[in-house]
Amino acid sequence: MLQDTSAQEANTNVDLLFIGAGPVGLFGAYYAGFRGLSMAVVDALPEVGGQVQAIYPEKKIYDIAGLPGVPGQELIGNLVRQAAPFSPLYLLSQQVQRLERRDGGWRATTSAGVVVDARAVVITSGVGAVTPRPIPAGEDFLGRGLCYFVPRLDVLDGKDVVVVGGGDSAVDWALAALPRARSTTLVHRRRQFRAHEHSVQLLHQSACTVLVDANVTELRGRDRVESVAVKVAGEAEVRETKAQVVVAALGFLMNLGPIKDWGLELEGRAIRVDSRMRTNLPEVFAAGDAATFDGKVKLIAVGFGEVATAVNNAAVALDPQAGLAPGHSSDLTLPAQVGA
Amino acid sequence: MAFVIGEPCVDVKDMTCIEECPVDCIYEGERMLYIHPSECIDCAACEPVCPVEAIKPAQHVDDRWRPFQESAKSAFDVLGSPGGSTKVDPPIEDTEYVKNFEKH
Repeated sequence: MLQDTSAQEANTNVDLLFIGAGPVGLFGAYYAGFRGLSMAVVDALPEVGGQVQAIYPEKKIYDIAGLPGVPGQELIGNLVRQAAPFSPLYLLSQQVQRLERRDGGWRATTSAGVVVDARAVVITSGVGAVTPRPIPAGEDFLGRGLCYFVPRLDVLDGKDVVVVGGGDSAVDWALAALPRARSTTLVHRRRQFRAHEHSVQLLHQSACTVLVDANVTELRGRDRVESVAVKVAGEAEVRETKAQVVVAALGFLMNLGPIKDWGLELEGRAIRVDSRMRTNLPEVFAAGDAATFDGKVKLIAVGFGEVATAVNNAAVALDPQAGLAPGHSSDLTLPAQVGA
Repeated sequence: MAFVIGEPCVDVKDMTCIEECPVDCIYEGERMLYIHPSECIDCAACEPVCPVEAIKPAQHVDDRWRPFQESAKSAFDVLGSPGGSTKVDPPIEDTEYVKNFEKH
């Protein structure tokens, strides 16, 4: 959805760093901009939207205040548009690994080697970084033919493509590969697909080789993937299928990752906060599913309120002269106010 | 509050739900599967994929599912919170309730 605007920035200075670009992080970015704070938003996924975009983009959500029924994808699109006038810096496909105190602020180093110096941090990481479920055969060939997302469809052109998985993503990738690839094979370890019935019908009617009750046992090749070994239930021999592109679409896992090593007071997957959304670390706040306190209810609507609270309290922490209350949103003149 | 797997799973163990779960909180027992009550993040990804409709959210647990809800809690008395089903070797021990359960 959004292009990663980061890559060239080796070192960045912002007022607020949001860890997690799910709905709560995105709304936080809007609020930070509204308070005149510069911000960066980091996320492990290549797209913003967190769990909503990754796991249920088409599902209608009924309990967002003011929206009687909104598909997840649309909610995320709206949040991106809402924050856009403030030009958030999105650092995607990377996780914050180290968070170190520095000059009264925080230095975050990401898995992509990007360094962000922020005066305050808001952790909006939900139940943890959303990462693709690894393919059981091993990740040695990641980036050398094995991928979890297909960044551009033309990487499939003229290739022997193997897609692994049984959900909508896997079936969609197989269908997308068919007109472009030299050959397309789908490998699913069960007999039943979890994808939309219509897509599965299209799949079975197509030229795609569909192997069910089958597992990829090995990826083979030298510098890049050259073939995959597939064990189909009931067959004595393992099949070898030529492949230069292997797309593993096995769903997602959520892991707390490095967050658990930063000295935060944790309760299970969540970080303990006070009524200002402050964690036990100075100038580090948390909001959304990532935050917990007595009586916490994990709802997107609640997370929205919490991140607005966090940002407004962070604004005061960064500038004691600033008021806690942000003022009316209609009073602010923007270069490009959406919906004005 | 977590989701609860009930009677339809017993002696079936389809396991599609395990593939869907993003936090690996569904553990394989001998006769049925167990959702870990505190590791479950209530994302509801498992519920629609069960081919025998064995999964209900805690809020919708009725008299038939309630004993399974209690059973799932006690299933982890000894194991605690392993942090994911890949961290334990299946199967985990069935609870007394499940061991003695007579399926109709």
